[in-house]
Parts: sequence; structure tokens; C-alpha cells
Amino acid sequence: MAQCKDIAEEANQYIDGDLPLRRRISLYFHLVVCKCCRVYLDQMRDTIRAVTVFKPKEAINQDIKSLAQRLREESQK
Amino acid sequence: MISSNKNEKQLVKQLLAGDPAAFESLVGDYQNLMISVARAIIGEAFADEVVQDAWMSAIKALPKFESRSSLKTWLLHIVSNGAKSRLRREKRQLSLDDGWQSESSDKFDGRGHRYDDVLPWEDDTPEALLANQELSQIIEACFQQLPALQRAALTLYDMEGVKMAEVCNILDISASNARVLLHRARTTLHHTIEQYRNPK
Repeated sequence: MAQCKDIAEEANQYIDGDLPLRRRISLYFHLVVCKCCRVYLDQMRDTIRAVTVFKPKEAINQDIKSLAQRLREESQK
Repeated sequence: MISSNKNEKQLVKQLLAGDPAAFESLVGDYQNLMISVARAIIGEAFADEVVQDAWMSAIKALPKFESRSSLKTWLLHIVSNGAKSRLRREKRQLSLDDGWQSESSDKFDGRGHRYDDVLPWEDDTPEALLANQELSQIIEACFQQLPALQRAALTLYDMEGVKMAEVCNILDISASNARVLLHRARTTLHHTIEQYRNPK
């Protein structure tokens, strides 16, 4: 059966449904008996949720308005 | 889906007509995403240039845009292809080895069991989350510290909902590498949020 360390390493694949069935079942049985790992999995889901809510953006150096204007001018040529 | 397709067709029409607001909306919506992809493939030094070239190619090709894919996917492929050819020209190679340390082994005993309890976090609604300015800043700062490839994988898969196969295609990486990047990015963010939620 899977151990806590396996949950820490494979939690994301478990959440994304990206594990082979046997492995998924093995993690599932560990989760049934281990409260810590259930909490850890919930925290990981919350992390993903927080990222999708806050949507941090890539920092950019360029001014959007001036780039948009340049592209517009280019399109008119 | 239909309405967003309709909106895109409308936006393309406005762009072809030279509407300044349409150009601002297009650049505002996609510049960060395109920079993210370029940085992940070619690195910081060439990313701005690659994205500018991609925009120029996209604007020239816009009259031929046929809505077979979404505007977002179309733009991401243009910038991805531009970055990949630049990478070949520069003969550079970006590594996935970013000094990542997996979950520290001192958290587990010899049989892989946790030593300490994991304490639950406060259960916030999306609205309560959004109102939490401090957490927002913490996540933003942590995100900016992630390596470019991890940021791009997280942005495309978790925030933009791009399918895994498409993420691999855009970033030119294998599915297993994409999974590794996503795992590292989410785990780093999890540690940061954990320190904020349950400070020791």
C-alpha cells in the first residue's frame, strides 16, 4: 500500500486523474486510513483553486497601449 | 463556447477594420501569456523580441485566420513556433533542472509515514479568497519566483485550462516533464500558502 511520502509525491497526478488505476487504488486506500494525507490532498486542491482564483500574471516589460498602437499601424500598411 | 467564438469573430472583424480598442483588448488579453510561453522556451533574454515578432506575424496572418482553433491557441502556437526556431538558431538548451528539492525527507520516517500532523486550512469561498489581499500578494510573489517553465506550465494548464497534450506541444516538452513542472510549481505554492496559513 502507498505511504504518506507517495501521497506527497503523487498528489497532483492523483488530483488530475493521471495515474494508472492500480496506483490510484493504492493511494486511495492510504487516503482512507490516513487523515494527514487527506488534509494534505485538500490543501493541494485549495492551492490549485487559489491559483485559479488569483491568476497571478507573468510580469511584462512592455507597455500594452504602445504595443497595441504599433500593431495597429502595422496592420494598416 | 458559441458566444466566445462569436466574440472572437467580432474581435477579428474589428481588428481587420483597424479599431484601436480591439488592438488594446487583444494585446491586453494575450501579451502576458505569450511572454510566459516565450520565456519558458527561449529564456528571458530573447523573449520580448520573439513575442514582438510573433505579434507581427499574427497581425499579417490575421486576414487568413479561420477560427479553426481559438485565437488564444492560434497566438500561442505562433509564439511557440517562433521561440522554438529561435532556440535552434541560438543553439541554446534550456534545462528542467532548476534546483528543485522534493518534499524534505525529514518529514517522513523510514517507512514513508509522516512524523507530524497536517493541519487543515481555513475553508474559504472564492469570494473570501479574492478579498484576501495578503494571500494574493504572497501567491503573486511566489509565482514570480518560480522558474519560467514552471510558470508557463502552471499558467497554461491550471489557469488557462489548456489540455495537457496542447501544453506539451506548445512548450515542446514530454508529458512526463510537463507533469514534473506542474507538480513542482503547485508544491512550491502549497508550501508558501502553508507557511501563511499555519505559521510555525
